Amino acid sequence: MKGKKTLYIALIVIGLCFAAASLILWEAIPNSLGGVLMGSGSGMAAIGLTQLLMLCLDTKDPAQARRKEIEVHDERNVAIRRRAKALSGDVLQWAVIAAAWVSIGFDAPLWVTLVAIAAFVSKSLLEVYLVVRYQREM
Amino acid sequence: MKNRLEELRKARGLRQEELAEALEVSRQTIGSLENGRYNPSILLAFKLSRYFGVPIEEIFIYEEEPS
Repeated sequence: MKGKKTLYIALIVIGLCFAAASLILWEAIPNSLGGVLMGSGSGMAAIGLTQLLMLCLDTKDPAQARRKEIEVHDERNVAIRRRAKALSGDVLQWAVIAAAWVSIGFDAPLWVTLVAIAAFVSKSLLEVYLVVRYQREM
Repeated sequence: MKNRLEELRKARGLRQEELAEALEVSRQTIGSLENGRYNPSILLAFKLSRYFGVPIEEIFIYEEEPS
């Protein structure tokens, strides 16, 4: 619990430092770097703050926190989440290859098609690797 | 898979919430089990068996599909 609190506070501090750095150094650094600093900084601060608030609420209501923990680790919920992730991953993979075909049809730059094909192949290879790994483990 | 979970729970005068809390699962899981929409893991099946004090075969009814 204390470790989590420290982590979230650290996230807020680092996030605010990034955002402040982008504002202070905005003339000295390229726009793209400033954007990255501001985006990642505000994102980290927001995540840290929401997680810290959730942690405070959980501390105030341990019964609610316990129910939430059960919901997260519940085997049916875990199975549902895994199935949804797997199916959405498959859909996304075929959407990417469809995008590659569309990009060819619209005479898009070659790199767009290649990136789409690379994403499709990478996902397929990762899937094969995971299948082999799980076959060894199970 | 058919099961006698609802019957066993009601025989003990338990609500789904109470059984769920005792087994550390969600109430929806108990509901899905009772409706036969979800088959439990072997661990949860053992937990149910121990909780009700009856063998797994007396909770879950395995029927082979006709070939």
